[in-house]
Amino acid sequence: MNEASNIQRVEASSIHARDLDLGYRAPQTLIAKGISFDLFPGELTCLMGPNGVGKSTLLKAILHQNPPLKGKVFLDQVDVSVLSNRQRAKKLAVVLTEKITSGEMTVNELVALGRVPHTGWSGLLSPRDKLMVKKVLDLTHISHLANKKLAALSDGQRQTALIARALAQDSKVLILDEPTAHLDLTNRFEIMHLLRHLAKKSSRAILVVTHDLEVAMETADKLWIMEARKPLLAGCPEDLMIQGQIQRLLPGDKWQIDPQSGKIRLLDPAKLPNIEGPSHLSQWIRNVFRKNPELYQPKQIRVRDQPFGISLFFPNREEKVTSIAEMIRFLRTQPT
Amino acid sequence: MNKPRTYKLLFCLFLCLLLWLINLSLGSVAIPLRALIERLAGIPFERDSWEIIVMEYRLPKSLTAVLVGIALPISGLQMQTFFRNPLAGPYVLGISSGAGLGVALLSMAGTAFGWHCLQGSGNHWAAIVAASLGAIAVLVLMGLAAWKVRDSMSLLIVGLMFGSAASSLITLLAYFSAAEELKMFTIWSMGNLGNSGWSELGLLSVLLLLGLLPALLSVKAFNAMLLGENYAISMGINFERLRWSMILSTGLLTGSITAFCGPIAFIGIAVPHLARLLFRTNDHTFLFPAAALLGVLVLLVCDSISQLPGMASSLPINAVTTAFGAPLIIWLIMRRNFSEAF
Repeated sequence: MNEASNIQRVEASSIHARDLDLGYRAPQTLIAKGISFDLFPGELTCLMGPNGVGKSTLLKAILHQNPPLKGKVFLDQVDVSVLSNRQRAKKLAVVLTEKITSGEMTVNELVALGRVPHTGWSGLLSPRDKLMVKKVLDLTHISHLANKKLAALSDGQRQTALIARALAQDSKVLILDEPTAHLDLTNRFEIMHLLRHLAKKSSRAILVVTHDLEVAMETADKLWIMEARKPLLAGCPEDLMIQGQIQRLLPGDKWQIDPQSGKIRLLDPAKLPNIEGPSHLSQWIRNVFRKNPELYQPKQIRVRDQPFGISLFFPNREEKVTSIAEMIRFLRTQPT
Repeated sequence: MNKPRTYKLLFCLFLCLLLWLINLSLGSVAIPLRALIERLAGIPFERDSWEIIVMEYRLPKSLTAVLVGIALPISGLQMQTFFRNPLAGPYVLGISSGAGLGVALLSMAGTAFGWHCLQGSGNHWAAIVAASLGAIAVLVLMGLAAWKVRDSMSLLIVGLMFGSAASSLITLLAYFSAAEELKMFTIWSMGNLGNSGWSELGLLSVLLLLGLLPALLSVKAFNAMLLGENYAISMGINFERLRWSMILSTGLLTGSITAFCGPIAFIGIAVPHLARLLFRTNDHTFLFPAAALLGVLVLLVCDSISQLPGMASSLPINAVTTAFGAPLIIWLIMRRNFSEAF
């Protein structure tokens, strides 16, 4: 039963691969071994992992720019190595990290380039192509920017335009390499929510390489975690968080992911003071001691709201302060 | 179609026609514009000498200028987009030096190898073949280098090195050649639009058409290349085919122009920038015709200046194109956000 349902899932996947060895040929370098994955339509999947672990190599294997050393990647059940560039372009569109230097190009022209695999030799757009460009501009909410030059766009707008270009390619699979790098907080969320919306609305399979765990937890249906020389770990982000598997993103023992907030933070030092008070306040006091392990630690700390105040208890006295900065200043004067 | 841009193109075309007539009328003997227009309408010239001056000298020369003005900017534009480098052009990649080496071997190695070419007037053809072979040799070497080194900056440096190597060979040849041969080569290297008669013009046109064809067939690929090689491949562009089409096209265009007219300086690199600047677009469906029309404009102006109207002698065309091209390049680089516009 379990096996049967597994087979069904493989048939439904947009991209799948089993037991790939990834690396470079000349000189022969093995980067990742035994990589297997399934990318499903209608799902937003985030590929995460430390730098140098082989994420880019995995992308290049899927795009057939650097075929795997061993194994095959299947796009819509077809081996990518037998597809022509053009056939592949109709099934798979990408947003790369490359900088676009053509500042005189308008958003409309950029998005129209997405029709390249569908147009004739001259690249002239048919009414159907033009309709698709318009539809995609509407879908990504950048119709008002259509005649703006790329040089005049903000980083977030430019990234959205690049996503629109990829959408205009009308492929069932979309792969984005770090689309939210260099973006501010709001734009990071906007872009990822847009991608999630697109995955759901048009049942595309979307794979995003990102280092942004916070946004990935918020938006992804699946996480793929790559670790040096280990098989790819795939799962529902919440499961991976609860199981503690997420910790694999942070090799070494300096950092940890707080299972409560999903945020990365310094590992708790051996000793933390005992802090009493509402948790939305006490967590920030704890944060101070994590950041400043050398700080003198009182026996007990009590924090209260309205009015905000902190009481520091020492074996023989009590000190009251009204801000965290004041608390730090005071503790710095104490002998350690 | 973008209306204002199309009008600009039509205006350029009109200017080209006007400048062509002016170019025909100017020279050591001034022929009134009115007479030229009447001649076009079928009314014979008042003087027979005008007929000879126009039909045998000025018309072939102005048509050569037109062909050069079309070929070199289109060659340069392809290079700039392909290598994504605003300083790329026929000269930078050593194609002209290669063609020069071919002609130098032909004209100056005569003493060493015992042949005598470029001596009579009928030996244009030998020069043409030699220059083409030289240009193709450099381009094939560049192609091989391109196959080995993937990133375009390294490739440009390799191209510069090829150019320098060819120049050093030319220097060697020049050092050992006879004074007469040396002068012939030096004059060849200054460029000359007036060398071609009607039969040369015919062949040149055919070669240029052959050279333009791969460029026109690759308009879409060049537009995709604006986003870089990786994006272009992801959009289904056959990059290898584009590379070879670019090598074939620029080889034919630059090689044959250099063969027939000598190395014409600066046009190939400056005019594509002028086109981008005036038409404010990166779209090659506009840039190719715009660069060609602007190239024709610029060369007709340069040629009219080099004829030194009213005087018996004329200036070498390269002196004029460079005098025009260098300030233009400097002005372009001084402009803010030049790199953004590219």
